[in-house]
Amino acid sequence: MENIIKSLEEKFNISEVIKKSDNLNILTVDKKLAMSLIIYLKEIEKFSHLVMLSAVDWLEDGKFQLSYILNNPEKKIDLIIRVFISREKPEMESIHKIWVHAATDQRELKEMYGIEFPESPRLNDDFLLEGWDNIPPMRRDFDTLKYSEETFFPRPGRQTYETKEYMKEKMYPDEKNSKNKKGLKDA
Amino acid sequence: MSLKDVLLPFLAWGKVFKNPVTIKDPFNDRPGSARYRGFHKNDIEACIGCGACEEICQNAAIDMVPVKGIETKDGDSGLRPMVDYGRCCWCALCVDVCSTNSLNLSNEYTWVENDPDKFRYIPGVDKKDWDNNELGWKKPENYDLNEPFRIQMEELKPEKRDSSFIEFVKGYSKEQAEAEADRCIDCGLCTATCPAHMAIPEYIKAIRNDDLEEGLRIMYETNPLPEICGRICTHKCETVCAMGHKGDALSIRWLKRYIADQIPESKYKDILNQGNDISPKSKKIAIIGSGPAGLSAAYYLTNLGYKTKIFEALPEAGGMMRYGIPEYRLPYDQIDKDVKYILSLGVEIEYNIKIGKDISLEELGKEYDAVFAGTGLHLGRSTRIPGAEHENVYFATDLLREISLGNDIHVGNKIVVIGGGNVAMDITRSLVRLQNQKNIKVDVTATSLESEDIMPADREEIDESREEKAIIDPGWGPKEIEIKDGKIKGLRTIKCLSVFDDEGRFNPKFDEKDKKFFEADMVVESIGQGMDLTYISEDIKTMVKFSDRGRIIVNKDFQSSLDWFFVGGDIIEGPDVIHGIANGHKAAKGIDKFLNK
Ligand SMILES: Cc1cc2nc3c(=O)[nH]c(=O)nc-3n(C[C@H](O)[C@H](O)[C@H](O)COP(=O)(O)OP(=O)(O)OC[C@H]3O[C@@H](n4cnc5c(N)ncnc54)[C@H](O)[C@@H]3O)c2cc1C
Ligand code: SF4
Ligand code: SF4
Ligand code: SF4
Repeated sequence: MENIIKSLEEKFNISEVIKKSDNLNILTVDKKLAMSLIIYLKEIEKFSHLVMLSAVDWLEDGKFQLSYILNNPEKKIDLIIRVFISREKPEMESIHKIWVHAATDQRELKEMYGIEFPESPRLNDDFLLEGWDNIPPMRRDFDTLKYSEETFFPRPGRQTYETKEYMKEKMYPDEKNSKNKKGLKDA
Repeated sequence: MSLKDVLLPFLAWGKVFKNPVTIKDPFNDRPGSARYRGFHKNDIEACIGCGACEEICQNAAIDMVPVKGIETKDGDSGLRPMVDYGRCCWCALCVDVCSTNSLNLSNEYTWVENDPDKFRYIPGVDKKDWDNNELGWKKPENYDLNEPFRIQMEELKPEKRDSSFIEFVKGYSKEQAEAEADRCIDCGLCTATCPAHMAIPEYIKAIRNDDLEEGLRIMYETNPLPEICGRICTHKCETVCAMGHKGDALSIRWLKRYIADQIPESKYKDILNQGNDISPKSKKIAIIGSGPAGLSAAYYLTNLGYKTKIFEALPEAGGMMRYGIPEYRLPYDQIDKDVKYILSLGVEIEYNIKIGKDISLEELGKEYDAVFAGTGLHLGRSTRIPGAEHENVYFATDLLREISLGNDIHVGNKIVVIGGGNVAMDITRSLVRLQNQKNIKVDVTATSLESEDIMPADREEIDESREEKAIIDPGWGPKEIEIKDGKIKGLRTIKCLSVFDDEGRFNPKFDEKDKKFFEADMVVESIGQGMDLTYISEDIKTMVKFSDRGRIIVNKDFQSSLDWFFVGGDIIEGPDVIHGIANGHKAAKGIDKFLNK
């Protein structure tokens, strides 16, 4: 593994190497060199299997992180390739020509994060969400709670108590100066 | 249509004698995997009703509800989570955030019911088949949504602090305070336990938002002595903090100090918007004593518009906060800051006036519309053992007062302190500092009736005393102070086997044969303080009701049976600063009620 990483560092301008264990390393590479690195890993270093492709929303930094998890079945080692792309115009080259099944991962990322993979087959078909009418739900600025409150009505008869108010009522009611009588939360 | 399509239905008959793919009894034959996220379980005894699970649920699937038989008490709201499976998506965030690890998901995933309301239930209360399932989702180890451990506070090393009275706890930086504030889950268990019911999660939130002015406003609603309390509060709140179950309680006290430390006193009036909008009332109130109880009453009465005047027997304000608590824990300029702000609102104060001697309580009662007394516990209690009357036997509180007044006190070469409480640790550590300053080899031993495990002093006080080279030798009962040729030789003690009897009453048992002699040329008694109520004349005493144990009886407003006479602080409740503050606040409201009748 060490040798592989050394040669990769020389060739692909790797900006960060994190060693997770003897058989798992994380490499961060520039978007421009990512495709050549992935092809090189598949063809030359025999990382023939794409385990999965996932994304992380770094809202504060204005970036999405793509993580390509590659596996070398002979040596039983894994590499995670991290690529940061802009959040404003999220787009990445498609790898469906390298691994056909990557199209499915990319379709999911398009739906959940709104990341474009031009030329990826059926990219814009609904994946899990049928008739979705909001910003992609895995983006961190999507307010899940608000959405679920607006979309799904509560079961009749539900009632919740606010810890602070409830304790006040039970433990020191004389000092009560709140309007909220029973510690019940406003519905 | 192809030939295959035509033949297919017939081909299917060929499979009739093969093993079926469906399962006969899916309920038993297909258990969820070991870490499957199935139905909720809750260990109802361990759950504290903090509501973090409700707060995190992105589907609003959880309600916090009262449960019969579960009492609301310190550290437990008495509420328990009820899950609505019409909304739950089994994400297990509620499990991962749970403050006590009481909430888990079992690996059970099948449940058939006709009544949809049955799918709302209280795990652990409404009995279910999966309650004892061992398998299912638990919070993985070494993974926490909130940082479980507190941000450490910088302190001076023992060798840097043991010869000076400068403050040794450094205070948080902005980064440290915000990181610590980030750990709070906003449950409010602390507020219920705080004697002043301070809005703790709210001011912690103000730190997170870097809005310290808002933090200051929140603190002053219930506590006008934040610099002081931010340093020396007994912090009962931290003993119930939800975060303490999996790691450390929030450093609530240090966070309070952080807010006050960042804002200069000169800005308080603007921030708190006080002084200008108080509409003055004609009624006047006299306050006896400028301890926390008196200061707090004065502050809240002034805010209600009353003219208040404090009478203080000593030359400066603060009571035991100034004349008891040593400077290395609570620097005088911090007391001054809190006091100065209160006085700046128009509270008058007259020093060196002893009520009962310079002015009588009757006179105050005539001249003022109401009187509040927070006179504290200032009389040292003696062990009354033979030798205790020797001139080199002192009361801890007398010595601490002299040190605060800036007077030189007698410092022996070998000192024994009798007592195992925080006051005993304060005088022990003060004497260590004085011995160092006078180039005497440190030799102070504190001994108490209580054995180490039940010593009333805080653990950190005991540890820090030892770090400063004091000897703490608990578990001995004082018998006699040996005196030879008019000089103290030491303290004779016998082993104390137990301090309390089965009913929890103070009733020490000794082993007379197991003896220990502590060599000494000076002895300090620190076994508690009593109140001095001699300012209450015989006449007034007939109008004020006392309990069997000699305490003045007051109602919820801290009003005695003599309607214009209100009392609070150590002589009623505590003894600590925050009870004094809370009492003073309630008495102020009570006086307002009384004068508006
Ligand atoms: C050594 C020591 C350490 C302590 N450490 C802590 C601590 O770390 N944390 C904590 O919370 N608490 C601590 N305490 C306890 C705390 O100081 C007291 O509980 C608190 O100060 C009590 O407040 P108070 O207002 O009732 O009375 P006091 O603070 O005792 O104030 C009473 C005031 O009334 C004045 N007075 C009394 N009689 C008269 C009179 N007749 N006329 C005029 N004035 C009078 C006194 O001079 C005094 O200034 C400590 C106490 C001691 C002794
Ligand atoms: S498992 Fe998820 S959705 Fe269900 S109650 Fe817990 S937090 Fe809410
Ligand atoms: S988070 Fe845990 S301890 Fe808190 S109320 Fe929910 S189940 Fe109880
Ligand atoms: S400080 Fe602790 S007890 Fe208080 S609200 Fe925060 S987490 Fe809850």
